[in-house]
Amino acid sequence: MLAACTAGGDRAWQSAEQLWQRRDPGAFAAWQKLDPSTANGARAHAALTRADAEYRRGIALLADEDPQARQVLESAAKRAPLDPELYLPLARAYRRRGLDERAAAMYEKFLAQASPSPEAEAARRELAALNDALGMPFEPPRATPATAWSPLWLVPLVVVALALAGWMAARRRGRRTSLAKLSAEHPELQPAIAFLVGCLRHEFFKHRILAVGDAVRAVACGDLAESERRFLLMRLFGGEALAVAWAGHLGAFMRVLGPRFDLVRLDPDFADASRDIAAIAASEAALSRGDADAARRVLAGQQRLAAFDATLARLALGLQHTIVDGALLSELAADVKRELGTAAVEIIVTPPVSAIAVESYRFDLALVIRNVLRNAVVAAAKGPAPARVAVDADVSLEPTGDEVLRLRVRDSNPESVPPAAELAEARGLALIRAALQRCDGSLSVEPGADGFAKCVVIRLFCALHDATEAA
Amino acid sequence: MSRLLVIEDGDEYAEFARVFLTDLEVTAAHSAADAIEALRTHGADALLIDLRFDRAPPSALVGDVESTAARLFGGDCERARRYLQDEQGTLILADVRAAGFALPALFVHDFPPRRLANLRRLYGDVTAVPSLDAATIRRALGGSP
Repeated sequence: MLAACTAGGDRAWQSAEQLWQRRDPGAFAAWQKLDPSTANGARAHAALTRADAEYRRGIALLADEDPQARQVLESAAKRAPLDPELYLPLARAYRRRGLDERAAAMYEKFLAQASPSPEAEAARRELAALNDALGMPFEPPRATPATAWSPLWLVPLVVVALALAGWMAARRRGRRTSLAKLSAEHPELQPAIAFLVGCLRHEFFKHRILAVGDAVRAVACGDLAESERRFLLMRLFGGEALAVAWAGHLGAFMRVLGPRFDLVRLDPDFADASRDIAAIAASEAALSRGDADAARRVLAGQQRLAAFDATLARLALGLQHTIVDGALLSELAADVKRELGTAAVEIIVTPPVSAIAVESYRFDLALVIRNVLRNAVVAAAKGPAPARVAVDADVSLEPTGDEVLRLRVRDSNPESVPPAAELAEARGLALIRAALQRCDGSLSVEPGADGFAKCVVIRLFCALHDATEAA
Repeated sequence: MSRLLVIEDGDEYAEFARVFLTDLEVTAAHSAADAIEALRTHGADALLIDLRFDRAPPSALVGDVESTAARLFGGDCERARRYLQDEQGTLILADVRAAGFALPALFVHDFPPRRLANLRRLYGDVTAVPSLDAATIRRALGGSP
C-alpha cells in the first residue's frame, strides 16, 4: 500500500534532483514540494532541514568572521539547495567579509527572484555600490518599475524607512542566539540544560511527536486502520494538549535560564519547532477525518522535528565530555607542586593506557583532581621520607553497559585518618561536592596498597559516545 | 506467529506494538520478576525493553539502592535510586539472562555504539533502534538470530 502511494514520488524526486544538479533557483521549491511520505521525499525534507540549519549557521559564522564558515556552508551545499530567502543574508555576509564578487553574484540571485520591496531596493543599492567597488558598471538584474510619477519628496521617507528596517534587523540579529551558544557561555547552566533537554526529548518527542510516524504515513496513504486512528489521536491529542505540553517544557527552560532568555524568540531552531508543533496541534480535525494532504504536512513537520531532536541529542552529549590522559594528570600534578612548593614530595603519574573521555566538564574535573592531589601532597609532606603521591586510573564495566573511571590518588603518610575526617579537611569541599554532583561522580577513601597508606578514589562515568557525535 | 514480550513501567510500548506490530503476539510485563514469570509460563521469541522505569516503585526495581550509592555515588541514595530507574531496562535484562533466557532483546534508545557493544558483551543478542517506528523495529527483530 505504501509502495503504491509513493509510486509517483520517484519521478518527482528525479526532477527535483536534476534541478539541483543544474543549480536551478527553482530547486529549493521543487524539493519542498516532494511528498514526505515517500522514502525519497522524507530524505529530501530531512536534508533540507539539516542543510537549512547549516546554511543559517554558516551565514552567522561568516558574519562573525569565523574561519569555520566556509566548511559549514560547503557542507550545507553538498546536502540540499539553499532557501532563496537566504540569498540576501548570505550576500550581505559575503560583503561584510570583503568577498565582493561572491556577494555580487548572490545579490543578483536574490534580485532575480525578488518582488519589488524596500528590501529589494536596498539590495539593488548595495549591489550597485559593490559593482562600483569592483569597477563594473551596475546593470540592475531586474528593471525597476517606471517611477516617473514619483515625487522627489518620497526619497527621504524611503531612506528613513530603510534605515529603520536595517536598525530593527540589526537588533534582531544582535539578540539572536541559541541554546548551544548559551550553554557554551554559561557552564554553570549546563547540567540543568542537559536535564531539561533529556526530559523534552523523552516525554515530548519520543513518546508523542515521533511515535506517530507510522500512523500519519497511513493517513497520507488513505490506509488508516481504526486502531491506528485511535493511537494517533490519543498520542498526539489525548491528555495534555500538545501546545500546553510544549509550553510547559519551554517554561521549565525559562525558569532555569531566566526570563530574558525566551527560546522561541531568540533561538531559530526553537522558533521553527514551535511553528511545526502549532501546525501539528491544529491538524487534529483534518487527521481525524483522514485528510491525506494534512497528513503529508504533518509528516514534513515531523521530519523537521526529528532533525531538531537529533540536534538536541548532540547538544546534550557535547555538554559533558572531557579527556583524561597523561597530559591532563601531569599538568595538574605540576600545578599542585608549583602551588605548594613541596619539592620533597614525589608525584608519580601513571596515565591510563589510552585516553579516557568522561562525562564531566573540564573545569569541574580539574577542580576535583587538583583538590584531591593537593590534600595528598600535604599529607605526604607531613609523613616520613620518602614522601610520595601516586596517581593512576582504571576503568570498570557496569551491568548497565556503562563504564566507570576510577582515578586513584594514593599518599605515603602512614597516619590512619578516618575517611570522613579526611574528606572534611579537604579544602573547598563544598565546591568539590558540587562539581562531583554535576557530573554524577563521587569520592571515597580506601586503604592504600604497594607502600601507600591510603587512597582517595574519584569515580566518574565514562563518555561512551564519539566526540564527533557531540559536535 | 512470533511472540513479543514487552517490559516497561507504563503501557506505551505495548500499546504501540499491539497497533503497529500486528503480526506479533504481544504480552507485557512491568518488572523483572513479572518478565521472568511470563517467560517461564508463556515463553517469547523476543523482548522489547524500555530503558527508563521512572514510574516504577523503588521496591520493584532491580538493584540495591544502598550498595549502588556506596559503590558509585559516595553514599548518595537519591542519585543511586535515579540511576537505577534511568538504567533499569539493562538491569532487568541482566536478571532475565541470569534466569537462563537468551532470547533477543531490543531497546528503543539511541545508545552510543560503544555502550551497545558493552551490552552485547554482557548480554549477547541485544539490539537498539532510535525511535518507535514499526518498520525499523520489525527489521531489528527480524535481524536477530
